[in-house]
Amino acid sequence: MGDGIRIEFSEVGKRYDERVIFRGISGTVKPGSILVLTGPNGSGKSTLVSILCGLLRPTRGTVKYLVGDDEVERWEWRFHLGIVAPAMALYEELTAHENLRFFARVRDLKMDDDDLNQILETVGLDPRRTTPVVGFSTGMQQRLKIAQAMLHEPEVLFLDEPGANLDPGGQDWFEGWVAAYAAAGGTVVLATNDRREMQWGMNRVELAG
Amino acid sequence: MSSLLAEALAVAAKDLRTEFRTRVALNALGLFALTTLAAVSYTIGPYRIAEADRPYLLSALLWVVILFASLAGLDRTFVKEEESHTAPLLRLSAGPHAVWLGKLLFNLGLLAALMVILVPLFIVLMGLPLVLHFGWLVAVLAAGGFALAVITTIVAAIIARAMTRGALFAVLSLPLLLPLVIFAIQGTAGVASGEIEIVHQSLRAMISFGGIMVVVSAALFPVIWGE
Amino acid sequence: MKFSNIAKFFLLVWMLGVIWAAFYYVQPAEGFIGQSSRIVFFHVPTAWVSVLAFLVSCVSSIQYLRTRDPEHDIRAAVASRLGLLFAVLATVTGAIFARIMWNAYWNWDPRQTSIAILLLIYAAYFALRSAVPDPERRAALAAVYAILAFVTVPFLVFVVPRIYWSLHPDTIINVRGANDFDSRYTQVLLASLAGFTGLFVWINSIDCRLDKIRRRRQEEVL
Repeated sequence: MGDGIRIEFSEVGKRYDERVIFRGISGTVKPGSILVLTGPNGSGKSTLVSILCGLLRPTRGTVKYLVGDDEVERWEWRFHLGIVAPAMALYEELTAHENLRFFARVRDLKMDDDDLNQILETVGLDPRRTTPVVGFSTGMQQRLKIAQAMLHEPEVLFLDEPGANLDPGGQDWFEGWVAAYAAAGGTVVLATNDRREMQWGMNRVELAG
Repeated sequence: MSSLLAEALAVAAKDLRTEFRTRVALNALGLFALTTLAAVSYTIGPYRIAEADRPYLLSALLWVVILFASLAGLDRTFVKEEESHTAPLLRLSAGPHAVWLGKLLFNLGLLAALMVILVPLFIVLMGLPLVLHFGWLVAVLAAGGFALAVITTIVAAIIARAMTRGALFAVLSLPLLLPLVIFAIQGTAGVASGEIEIVHQSLRAMISFGGIMVVVSAALFPVIWGE
Repeated sequence: MKFSNIAKFFLLVWMLGVIWAAFYYVQPAEGFIGQSSRIVFFHVPTAWVSVLAFLVSCVSSIQYLRTRDPEHDIRAAVASRLGLLFAVLATVTGAIFARIMWNAYWNWDPRQTSIAILLLIYAAYFALRSAVPDPERRAALAAVYAILAFVTVPFLVFVVPRIYWSLHPDTIINVRGANDFDSRYTQVLLASLAGFTGLFVWINSIDCRLDKIRRRRQEEVL
């Protein structure tokens, strides 16, 4: 996993024309720690996650990815992060295996079918299943999203309501997995309103409604 | 470079696979083209137009059908990624140039498929004497189709990031496509009337326009995609 | 008095002079019906300003993509807005002239086609801007479109007419040069071009300041 990446963001604000989503949000996430983002619905948790992972530009403020004192350039962020978010879907027409194979190929990962099957089993999906994702339950889709996020073994993980559709067994497994990931030096940003998930991390950023 | 091509092919293959399972773009393109062709051939047919006017008028009709069929379907590849919310993960996984090249290849494939079916039908139904200079016809169609795919691909990338996408695609594409369509009609008419000098001229214009648009698109696509 | 005030006063006098000269200083040109040639003093400068505004917009767009400074986005949008206005003026004055000379308001002369396309491009540009609520994304997408249009326009203006024959008198004027067109004509036309350019620069700077204030008020909320 390398040296780990520290994310520093300061005075971040976002506005769509007249509508201000949030402003003046600052924080730091160190390798091996979990930052918990909380706030009522519509407070901009997902927007902030999008800004932190580089999908959206902030109207104000800065976001930096740092390895020691060296800054990682914005266009390189995507090599270092994985994300699980409700607003980010997989390809419904493809099977679970085809989805993972596609993401492995566009990331230029050297993975064969056995590697992919292994990952599918890790998240609790049957690798022999050949139905398109559109027929999956939301919980199974969530598991596949998790598989997609861990595919390239990223240093940073963004989780937006990760346990929302998992069954209790899946939630327990995933909590353990995230704890192990952080313990191994991973950087985690967790956006959630789930009381149990809020206990995962020590640092907290609260967005006002 | 080779990894860029491999990644682009992965994107194009993924799009082809989903397209074969849903057939949204193929249906839009194909049905539009065939319906228009049927209407045109029924109302005008081969003999309504005087012999001397045929090369120009029929070439214009052919390119109007191709143009509007393209506007009906070539935005799907980007719009679908946004509508089904798959764009964010694609953005975070694939490099922008691989996405652009993959989508361009996919649109080129769609357009080629359309032309392979539409043009022979058009020749047969409308009696356009294009077969005499078959090589030149293929050259004009290839050069025109290439530039058409390049421009519609970059505009599709823009409108996919805006609201009211359907209407915007035509509004933004048409001003950029107008010179191309004029050149293409000129070239096709040149082929039909056997004036190879005009074909040369239009080919030069289309190739330079398409070439410049490729360079500009490749340079600007990361801006659109990353925003 | 501040320099800018002197400049504004000077511009007023200058434009009044141009208008006076257009009607009293020059004689109606030969080969034109009635007094119709006088419209050239207003038609050509409006067309020139619409092209100039397009250029300013494209340069500002490129600068925006380089620096990501919202001020360049304001400049691009403002120049396009003025460009649209002047393109409409040029189209209307051109159509009036065409009606008198060729008995038809519109005949798809290559230059008419070019200005029509310029109008379409401006319209598309604003359609795009109004369809993107996120200001950062709107600025970037609009800038990209402006550059794509900038690449297309030369093909329309220079390559397409080479294939088609042009009705437009400008080419004829250029060929005949100053022999038939007395030098007074050239003087007034140049003066008018300068005046309209000054007018554009002035309105443009006012509009930019207005937009900046508007945007600052939005940002105060943030």
